[in-house]
Amino acid sequence: MRKVAGPGTSREQSAATEARSGRAPALLAERLRFPLALAAGKGSGATGRLLNIGGGTSLPGAIARRIDPLVLQKVAKASKAHKAVITGSNGKTTTCRMLAALARAAGTSVAQNRSGSNLLQGVTSVAVREADLRGRMDAGLLLLEVDEATMARVAPEVAPDMVLITNVFRDQLDRFGELYSMARMLEAAIEALPDRASVVLNGDDPLVASFAPHAQARRLYFGLRAEGVGAEIPEHAADSIRCVHCQHALTYRRAYLSHLGDYECPGCGSRRPDLDIAVTDVQALPDGGTDITAETPAGTVQVRVPLPGLHNVYNAAAALAGAFALGGLEPENARSALAGLRPAFGRLEEITADGRRVVLSFVKNPASYNATLRLIMRRPGPKHVLAAHSNTVVDGEDFAWLWDVDLEQLVPDLASLVVSGTRAEEVALRMKYAGANPSDIRVMPRRQAALNAALAGIPSDEPLYILAGYTPMREFRQIMQRRGWVQPFWEE
Amino acid sequence: MEHDVPTSIRICHLYPRLLSVAGDRGNLLAITKRCDWRGIRSIITEADVGEVPDFTEFDLILLHGGQDCEMRVAARDLAMKAGSLREAIEAGAVVLAVCAGYQLLGKYYAPADAPPITGIGVLDAVTEGGSTRFMGHIVVGCDLGQGEQRRLVGFENHSGRTHLGPGAFPLGQVIAGSGNNGKDGTEGARYREVYATYLHGPVLPKNPWLTDHLISMALLHRYQDVRRLDSLTPLEDQTEAKAHAAALRLARPPIARWQAAMAARFRPRRAGSLPTRAESDLEPADKGMAMTSR
Repeated sequence: MRKVAGPGTSREQSAATEARSGRAPALLAERLRFPLALAAGKGSGATGRLLNIGGGTSLPGAIARRIDPLVLQKVAKASKAHKAVITGSNGKTTTCRMLAALARAAGTSVAQNRSGSNLLQGVTSVAVREADLRGRMDAGLLLLEVDEATMARVAPEVAPDMVLITNVFRDQLDRFGELYSMARMLEAAIEALPDRASVVLNGDDPLVASFAPHAQARRLYFGLRAEGVGAEIPEHAADSIRCVHCQHALTYRRAYLSHLGDYECPGCGSRRPDLDIAVTDVQALPDGGTDITAETPAGTVQVRVPLPGLHNVYNAAAALAGAFALGGLEPENARSALAGLRPAFGRLEEITADGRRVVLSFVKNPASYNATLRLIMRRPGPKHVLAAHSNTVVDGEDFAWLWDVDLEQLVPDLASLVVSGTRAEEVALRMKYAGANPSDIRVMPRRQAALNAALAGIPSDEPLYILAGYTPMREFRQIMQRRGWVQPFWEE
Repeated sequence: MEHDVPTSIRICHLYPRLLSVAGDRGNLLAITKRCDWRGIRSIITEADVGEVPDFTEFDLILLHGGQDCEMRVAARDLAMKAGSLREAIEAGAVVLAVCAGYQLLGKYYAPADAPPITGIGVLDAVTEGGSTRFMGHIVVGCDLGQGEQRRLVGFENHSGRTHLGPGAFPLGQVIAGSGNNGKDGTEGARYREVYATYLHGPVLPKNPWLTDHLISMALLHRYQDVRRLDSLTPLEDQTEAKAHAAALRLARPPIARWQAAMAARFRPRRAGSLPTRAESDLEPADKGMAMTSR
């Protein structure tokens, strides 16, 4: 019933009516927002794949978030899946693949972001792809590789049951400012975990092991306790080898990889924590694989990984620890689970290119670069190299870290060298001061021309090693994909 | 003939492990390589925490960047080294100090959220922590008495704001970037033969003119004889020049960079001109079709 009232109240009333009549469509739009976001995201993903543009990996997330900024949070909340987040400087992608293989061997279905698209939009894309239009997911495990800088935004949205930190290396300082500000960000994510969640940390990394000591979540450490591998003193590129508590220089009983090892502080007596998952034996196989024995609370586990290098031993230890934390580590199944693993794209990936061999390596910081160089130097024969870096949002602007890479060891074995990418001049300069003859360095910023030039004139039995940052690595891969030499990476 | 003993310079690398971020060891590499290519010997001594060398024995001293926590350790230790280091500086020893190394030679560095760190006060400079970081490519115009302005290129990454007192000159004027404090247009500091800067990159490989200036000043300090500078023969610096030019381009503000890129992309093609990047990076998709239709 309406009464005619004075001018003042009438204005108020009409405003209220307007609001009421506007609210119904607004509510409807609000309810539709979530499925609409999912549908639009899914549609764009399918279109992207159909048109063969990019990997179709971040666009669906970007579009879905544009329509409903809470889309990731809603999917995560609606799903009954375990949610695991893997972050850290190095080994995220490979650790994720290993953990997924272990989970599948234990009968769990896995949804994951596979292609290294680990920023907010890439992570949202997985949720959009895997959920139905009501936002529900079939998978038993949502496994997310997340960029360290993105953790602060992803963790609260996903509310993970498990956070795994592989290691923290000095990785593109210009993205984080300082190592320690990034460390504080990761600590905040761990502190926010409830007590039913787990945090899995690299016990061999002094900084990571010290993260959030008072967090409520269950804490598990992984690391190496193996004789016959590693060294007495940390290698040159080692960083953060000071005690995080008293800044005294750390001493190592055994240094396995850069600053990772069995450390102790002579200053304050702090030392590596007791390992819950410890690799006790490592055997390098002649075919480039590795046999790993690990002691875990679920018993002794033996795995064979078809990947070389100590960094992959760490990845395997991390994956075993992650599987244990999620309650899915079965020692009998683990052995065969990892045997079928292929290298992640661009991780010393062997490619047959029109009768020639290409070894594609993704290098992003001194530690990963040096690990790759060590593996390459172990192979016989002269080294034909195509080295490329570009300044992009993903790769950063500052390439000073190239001067911390031990390129000096590569130069004496160089048979040919092409440098490429938008920062080709920087790479050329580094190579010159590493000892390369400037007249032997071919500077070709364009990726296609560089690849052609690098391949031309190489004897068919000698491989071309491509050492590239993320963006040029993907570009080289796309060129090779167009030529039919490799499969698109989202089909891996 | 006049020098039977090979020409050499004595270099001290201060805190090679503690203060070693952002590839700054490339500075040492640039100096030693450019000496090496000219037959000048470089004798390197590393001085770490706890070691107190006689700094007057050196011609060139390097002190690089580090993060706040490492800087605090260095500051405590540098207090013990200060006497000898000051003496060497007053006697004309050449010093290159970068970022945290620069701040440590000043009077103090007061971070926003932690107690201040005391420097040794060789430079009349004070540094306060800021709430934001200056992070990006930078170009600085320098005149080190060579009669012409030279350009220094690099990458800065610091939250400290440094202000110079009357006792220190800036190393140069900012052309693009932020520099000492983002306000007064100065970058770095100079006092006697101390060259302090915020530039990483590392700074020396891409700025061979500065490297050679440091080497020449170190030679003068060692031999006190200008004839010794004859050994500083010109080098073939094409690779350096290209990297320098690339860094200059990067330091342009994004809009200007974008405009330049667009202009290059849509420039009408003249006969014989190079194809644009978009064209050359695309695979000719249907070579076969073109053949048959001909």
